[in-house]
Amino acid sequence: MANLKDIKRQIKSVKNTQKTTRAMKLVSTAKLRRTEEFAKKSKLYAKKINEVLSDIAMQIEHFKIGGIDSKFFAKNEKIEKVDIIFITADKGLCGGFNHQTIKTVKNLMSSFKDRKIKVRLRAIGRKGIDYFRFNEIELLDSVINLSSQPSYERAAEFMKRAVEDYLNGITDQIILIHNGYLNMITQQIKVVDLLPIKIDTVDIIEKTSLMEVEPKGDEELVLEQLVQKYLDYNVYYSLIDSLAAEHSARMQAMDNATRNAKEMVSQLTLDYNKARQASITTELIEIISGMESMK
Amino acid sequence: MDTLKLNIVTPNGEIFNNDINSVTLPGSDGEFGVLPGHAALVSLLSAGVIEIEKTSGKKELVAVNWGYCNVSEAEVTVLADGAIAILGDSESEVANAISKAKELIKSISDSNIAIATVEAKLESAGRNLI
Repeated sequence: MANLKDIKRQIKSVKNTQKTTRAMKLVSTAKLRRTEEFAKKSKLYAKKINEVLSDIAMQIEHFKIGGIDSKFFAKNEKIEKVDIIFITADKGLCGGFNHQTIKTVKNLMSSFKDRKIKVRLRAIGRKGIDYFRFNEIELLDSVINLSSQPSYERAAEFMKRAVEDYLNGITDQIILIHNGYLNMITQQIKVVDLLPIKIDTVDIIEKTSLMEVEPKGDEELVLEQLVQKYLDYNVYYSLIDSLAAEHSARMQAMDNATRNAKEMVSQLTLDYNKARQASITTELIEIISGMESMK
Repeated sequence: MDTLKLNIVTPNGEIFNNDINSVTLPGSDGEFGVLPGHAALVSLLSAGVIEIEKTSGKKELVAVNWGYCNVSEAEVTVLADGAIAILGDSESEVANAISKAKELIKSISDSNIAIATVEAKLESAGRNLI
């Protein structure tokens, strides 16, 4: 039977852990709410940029012989080199959140390897970087402190490096992987082909009206700039989405931890009471047997 | 009088959505004004200042570092990377917004003339606001 004092100490320590996990859960809940608000605000931009991008793409396709010859759009070339961009959290203690992303990345890597396609990795977030460094898998590019504080400027900067490689023909395809937010209790892995853009991935809104484009006669330039923004924005939005998912995952993990701690405390209290009773019984037996022997 | 609907959207949210009398935009081929009933037009915007005349006759300024606008007869939509609206109730708030706007323009443009034009515009407008 464990010592009474030991059990008491254990109960105290578990209770302290419980306090921490509960606080972390509350923090995550508050942060999640804020991130959600953020995501909602920026969704409007997504809608608008989709609209204009499809507008212009349509116009160029309709009025230019040969369609769009911008490098950004799909050309059914044989794909030999692929860049994978993946987003993980900077911090742990959020259940399987980071591991799910890492697993997806690894699966994708091996499936590409089977097809003899070269894969390069670009990582956002400390946890993913640590994992691949530890396993000695080379990372082409890595950023920390971006997934915990999404900033449009830094996302754009990161994306610029990837796009440059794409335009220079160093890579043929860019894939973005992140663990996205579905609702308060579910996260979902999202795998998106960023480049080349397939026109049908952009929601096409049929429009017949003609419009003037400025700078004149240079629709391609307008389109190219818009595509650039579209990509930057996509990465930025994924960051926000991933952050929301991270908070919701942490909320859940901490909720579970708090519940487990509670169970543990009640089990330990039971043990404690049993031990206490056992010691009382032993004492009683000692007293009684002492009295008996005096008779 | 006819009005236009103006919508300015950035990745961080919508910063303007209201009916207005007219708007002047810093197009990449030069500044242009839009009144209600303007022909359909899409244009890239360069770093500069958007001047809005609200239905109340009051003017409002928004500084942008890059943008794209889509004009139709009754609606103008502006997409911008970074945009700072210059407004505020007190002198210090306006001054604060102006200095932020200047920084935004400086960060993107390397042409001194462009910066100077924008600064002049901001200063004079700021004076009118207060």
